[in-house]
Amino acid sequence: MSGAGKAAAGLWALRIWAALVFVFVFAPIFFSVIFSFNSARFPTIPLESFTLHWYQTIFADPDVWDAALNSVIVSSCTAVLATALGFCTAYTDYRYRFRGQGAYLALVLLPPTIPLIIMALAMLAWLSKIGASGQIWSIVAAHTVLTAPFAMAVIRLRLNQIDPSLEAAAWNLGASQWRAMRWVILPFARPAIVSALCLTAAVSFDEFAVAWFVSGLNKTVPVLILEIVTGNIDPQVNAIGTLVFGVSITLVALAQILLAARLSRSAA
Amino acid sequence: MASDPKSRLDLYALSFRLPILVWQALFFVGPLAFMLAMSFFDVKNYRMVETFELKAWERMLTRGYVWDSYFLTLGRAALAALVASLVAFPAAWLLAFRASETQRRWAIFLLVIPFFTSYLVRTFSWLVILAESGVVNAGLGAFGLGPYTMLNTGFGTLVGYLTLVLPLVLILQTVTLAHIDPRLPAAARNLGCPPGRVIWEVVLPLAKTGLVVAALFAFILSFGDFVAPYYLGGSKPPTLPILIIDTTKSGQQWPRAAVVAVMMMLTLFAIAFASIAFAYRKRASK
Amino acid sequence: MTQRNKAAPFAATRRQALKLGGAVALSAPFVGRAWASTTEINMLAWYGHGEPDIVGAFEEANNVKFVPKYYAGGDNMLGLIAQSPPGTYDVILSDAEFVQQLDAAGYIEPLDAADYPLDDMLYPDFQKFPGHWSDDTLMSMMVRFGHLGVSYNTTAVSAEEAESYACFWKPELKGKVGHFDWHLPTLGQMSLYNGNGAGLWDLDDAAWAKVQETTMSLRPQVGGFFDFGGTFNGLKNGEMLAMVGIGDWITGILEKDGAPVASVIPKEGGIQWTESYCIGKGSEKADLVKTFIQYMLSPEGQVKSAQMAAYPGNIVTKGGFELLGEVDPKEAARTHQLPGDPMNPITLIDTGRIHYRDIPRQQSLEDWNDFWSEYKNA
Repeated sequence: MSGAGKAAAGLWALRIWAALVFVFVFAPIFFSVIFSFNSARFPTIPLESFTLHWYQTIFADPDVWDAALNSVIVSSCTAVLATALGFCTAYTDYRYRFRGQGAYLALVLLPPTIPLIIMALAMLAWLSKIGASGQIWSIVAAHTVLTAPFAMAVIRLRLNQIDPSLEAAAWNLGASQWRAMRWVILPFARPAIVSALCLTAAVSFDEFAVAWFVSGLNKTVPVLILEIVTGNIDPQVNAIGTLVFGVSITLVALAQILLAARLSRSAA
Repeated sequence: MASDPKSRLDLYALSFRLPILVWQALFFVGPLAFMLAMSFFDVKNYRMVETFELKAWERMLTRGYVWDSYFLTLGRAALAALVASLVAFPAAWLLAFRASETQRRWAIFLLVIPFFTSYLVRTFSWLVILAESGVVNAGLGAFGLGPYTMLNTGFGTLVGYLTLVLPLVLILQTVTLAHIDPRLPAAARNLGCPPGRVIWEVVLPLAKTGLVVAALFAFILSFGDFVAPYYLGGSKPPTLPILIIDTTKSGQQWPRAAVVAVMMMLTLFAIAFASIAFAYRKRASK
Repeated sequence: MTQRNKAAPFAATRRQALKLGGAVALSAPFVGRAWASTTEINMLAWYGHGEPDIVGAFEEANNVKFVPKYYAGGDNMLGLIAQSPPGTYDVILSDAEFVQQLDAAGYIEPLDAADYPLDDMLYPDFQKFPGHWSDDTLMSMMVRFGHLGVSYNTTAVSAEEAESYACFWKPELKGKVGHFDWHLPTLGQMSLYNGNGAGLWDLDDAAWAKVQETTMSLRPQVGGFFDFGGTFNGLKNGEMLAMVGIGDWITGILEKDGAPVASVIPKEGGIQWTESYCIGKGSEKADLVKTFIQYMLSPEGQVKSAQMAAYPGNIVTKGGFELLGEVDPKEAARTHQLPGDPMNPITLIDTGRIHYRDIPRQQSLEDWNDFWSEYKNA
């Protein structure tokens, strides 16, 4: 075989390999959607008939609605808090130089590296200790810790692109620091803030380990899924999963679109 | 201006710097410190008694099965990190060097999707796909192969871990490789360097940090995951996260669960420091 | 309710909230019940007891809403109560053998025996079930029961083989024997296999050592340890061909779905699980809970329990027994709950083939738990 032929064959091998990797990644999602419309009580192949039964079941189940409401509350509160904290931290890191800055950043960025099951155990023990477990905001507190680093990273990247003389110019023109923040920094960071909101909401919406431990009776959607999987294992799981998939994708896509808009605007 | 705005500490600066410190102290440092303290507590009649005893530590560290579980978890998570890195690398190579900017952005967008799709639901899906009467075996059966037992085995657990970590590893590797100037490997090739050596001596050293960080994340996530070993591995035998859950379920033995958690954290820190030191070592000496 | 109002101040995410809100509004008719101002009853139970097929009708009739928290195994139940503030759970479904522990820990309220149809119980033991009475005070009301034996795939194990626990050691089942992940039922069955009969829970050191040895010898056969859902799935998709520590409560559902599985009580004897309702200590809704327990013991409630979607349970009252035969003769026949059936659950108890599940008498639950962890890791 010629060198060029070999290279072409190698390229094709790479392409096939990459395609297989994507198949592996998407196979479970694909089959989950399929099984959510399949009538079999215990999903298997060959498929039985098409049905909306599992969707009807979950739509008619008040527990699912309660869980959905809890999830919306938890993820939106988490998003706001985590983004606010992430913004403050990102701004601090962007503008100031101070002793212990490394440790400061480490403290902020560390949580995602701690296994969720450990965070769950520690959170529940601690929140029970201070009398704050089993409430919906226990989940919000925990999720905010877990997601703030993501918000911080997204916003910090955006602040990197700001011209440092802009803020200084505003001060020189007599604006107070607060006014400069309000009229210069915040507008500039807005796209990143919105993507951070979407990102943190999506992460919080799907987190189940910590939520499972600290939620008490206030189940969120992923906790309900866990309960069905450990309990009555049936395709309701797939139906809920497919709907959650839709919501998450909407949030991610929204974030992506805003990110793209930001890129094109800053390129212009 | 009175002082350097970069180091000035006034009300304005504090109101941006402090919130996260307060929050992390309350809901991150607090819980972890309490968990450490809890590992020295005692349990009487299903209720925790706050004392300082080494009971839980003695109990767990002298049990053979805890150590079995420890090394099993360590081994399986390391295997997952290794396999994920090896599987993702060729695909990352393709995306980084042989794909256009647009293609790459689309690929990364696709890879973000599973990250936001319920991991539990995907695991449940694997249960059906990997079963003896499942999709894979039906496919293999068409070629006269199988059926193979894949659920409730180490293989099942590995599939679960990969489901969790592969998209992330692939994204991190792609981003890392994309930062390497594609002319470098091309130049090495033109100078007659065989492809294997191009990867080993040109690309890997340049990409080392990113590759190690990707593998480290894969390790951390697998090490702490209870879903894959439980549902796809049949908890046979249980990994440390399952041990934590079992221990909290059976008679409120929280101090013992805390011991396992502290063991896990110490291990993770050690491994994280070692691999980050490794990732940056050669660069510093050059 | 107060939590729900908290959503309002967070205007920044209003757009997201509105978006989801729109989707929610489309299904308003279903939501009505979930979000109307109903009384919430917190329930701690095995999986399925708070689902619409059981509590739906009661919820509608009484304008209440059950908020269930599910557990698996009595140790798990005690742990969950211990870590919640007193009065969290209004109604607790307990395994009978744990009622004494609930009482001793002060987690449950006494019941008034006159409120419940004790005279209508199918079997004398059910009126004075072991551990349910503290002197002359009723602490818990038995509501359903079932039997644990050998559960197997009929294509892999013959009915004759299933007549003894020895079938779990059959070489063909290597790697195909599953465990329900709780020590009590499995170790109880191993104790029966060792010939301990009625003394299965009362093991001296030698007998306990022997039970551990027997159990360990089964380990190479084991294919996995499963929760409720995993047990279903394993038997259904053929990954597991026999299961230790379960019974018709699992295979019944699969049988109805057409899977080739069955459960029998082997010659060494079987174990009875018994579920009883308790009122949580400090509950402010004790009256409502009383009405609910009465409802579950009414013929209608008993039939619902027998037909429960998550897992079926046998009927405990004469009224329920009659009604099931009338409205669902098929299920009554399948579960032998017909007068004169030789496999009638009551007959099985009466002829001494069934032993009520209990907690270990000479060891602590912790010892059993500890051995179970060791066994799983072996």
